[in-house]
Amino acid sequence: MEARAIYELLAEKIGDGALGFTEGTGDPVADVAPASIVDACTFLRDDERCDFDMMMCLSGIDWDGYDENGKGKSVSILGYTDLGEPETTERASDGDFGVAYDLYSHRLKHKFTLRVRVTREVASVPTVSGVWETANWHEREAWDLLGIRFAGHPDLRRMLLDESWVGHPLRKDYQMPSEWDAVRLSGRDYAKNPFPPIAPPETPTPPAGDKPAEG
Amino acid sequence: MATEDVKATGWADQDHVPEIKSELLELNMGPQHPATHGVLRLLLETDGEIVYKVTPVMGYLHRCAEKIAEGVNYKQWVVYTDRFDYLAPMCCNHAYVTALEKLMGQEVPERGEHLRVVAAELSRIASHLVSLATFGLDMGAFTPLLYMFREREEILNLLERIAGGRMLYNYMVPGGVRYDVPDDKWIKDVLSFVDMMETKKVPEYNTLLSYNKIFIERTANVCVISPEDAFTFGCTGPVLRGSGVSFDCRRDDPYGAYPKFDFEIPVGQGQMGAVGDCWDRYFVRMLEIEQSCRLIRQALETLPDGPYQAIELKKPVKAPMGAVYSRTESAKGELGHYLIGDGGQTAFRNKVRSPSFCNLQVVTKVGVGQMVSDLVALVGSLDIVLGEIDR
Repeated sequence: MEARAIYELLAEKIGDGALGFTEGTGDPVADVAPASIVDACTFLRDDERCDFDMMMCLSGIDWDGYDENGKGKSVSILGYTDLGEPETTERASDGDFGVAYDLYSHRLKHKFTLRVRVTREVASVPTVSGVWETANWHEREAWDLLGIRFAGHPDLRRMLLDESWVGHPLRKDYQMPSEWDAVRLSGRDYAKNPFPPIAPPETPTPPAGDKPAEG
Repeated sequence: MATEDVKATGWADQDHVPEIKSELLELNMGPQHPATHGVLRLLLETDGEIVYKVTPVMGYLHRCAEKIAEGVNYKQWVVYTDRFDYLAPMCCNHAYVTALEKLMGQEVPERGEHLRVVAAELSRIASHLVSLATFGLDMGAFTPLLYMFREREEILNLLERIAGGRMLYNYMVPGGVRYDVPDDKWIKDVLSFVDMMETKKVPEYNTLLSYNKIFIERTANVCVISPEDAFTFGCTGPVLRGSGVSFDCRRDDPYGAYPKFDFEIPVGQGQMGAVGDCWDRYFVRMLEIEQSCRLIRQALETLPDGPYQAIELKKPVKAPMGAVYSRTESAKGELGHYLIGDGGQTAFRNKVRSPSFCNLQVVTKVGVGQMVSDLVALVGSLDIVLGEIDR
């Protein structure tokens, strides 16, 4: 079934929860209100015409800075500029968080993408781990790396980082700590670059007398 | 019951057997354990030999490659995809460039697509050989490992001649491949290798391992994964096909040059026991090696002339604003990239959906109620690679 037809079925079911359907560059995507995401997913899984028996992927997104073309908004991953100055963001992040759900039906062989968007202050989406088991680990990963809470998740612990880690690295305003658990990270200190850039060798200026005639 | 009570009662008194209190024992399997195939820690709750709960703990290899993707440009990040599944790096390259080209709307020359298929399928064979070999090793069969690593070495030599590296290739670039075929001899060598695999080596492995009585006893009817479990846990690749589901991204969600070629999707038949047991998952991989050989032969025999790159190597690439989810069939299963472009040279967000990550979650259900030694068989038959899980 075409994505638009699936969206119309879905909009009929969840009513105001369906916020719009976008086609353009990339995959067609249906925007859904966070409150109705569980209803939407349950419907898409159980309905005969949709029959989405598998969730391929769940991706958390930090939309901060995306509308302004995004360039130069992310904090550098190294934490300092080429000149060895520690890099900081003066601008406070205020973008929304998003979660994208990519679904697939093995029987009907069609795909569908749902997306929800929540504000940075809320940062919480109802869990769909009761609909597909695989969402359990994907949501834990999104919580770990982006700090999006999944309300009602049975076991919302960090997945890839240690429990004692502070912060969520995939946020656009994340600053890497200079030490963790009394270990200096990679021997790099924020205040000082241990590998300062090598200055280009000075080009010797030729003596005035040897200068070839111009023209 | 306290020790004194047991002494007082006496074991000889058969009429009055004391009730023995038992409690669950927490057992750490890993992170440094040969049967976990990397630095994976399985936290088991066991009662004797029976496992009551499995909690995988991971992240020991975490590098946050997705954050790095937001800091380097699209072409530079191909290097990092090699490091995900280091046993089949070509498949990982292929997955990433396919996603990027889908977002860019970039066409790839025919010759480039054919070379990608050859490289990815060679890598798939190499990965399956390691998987089968280490699975045999887990089950106590040491000799097949030596035989299979011998053929893997041949593949590494062939890939070294076309890509320059032996393990991490960085071979595919957006719009094509990095290098053309070195010479006609390379094509001849690959074809003769493929013929040798099909006619001699796979039957040899079958004699050595697949139909070995001890091996069948250890793997048949062990840890059966039903198709419903496989769907809801997001299992893909040989794990899903071992459960009898005929699904393969190469056929059902085609990409690259795969629609042009003729190949079959082997599925688990339950020859030695139930459909979806460890032996089925093992044997699907063995059959896939033969299909990969067919694909390589077709791709090389119909190798078209012409360019193999659409974009100059030094030219940076830009992707428009938009989000795509693109998936390919890696050696372990469905390797997907959720890629958001922002109009610049760097990805805004790049989420990697790795097959091992999703396949591993099934142990939390299927591993329950099994013996500890069968859990080793289960983890071995899932064929996980930790570089891909931890990313």
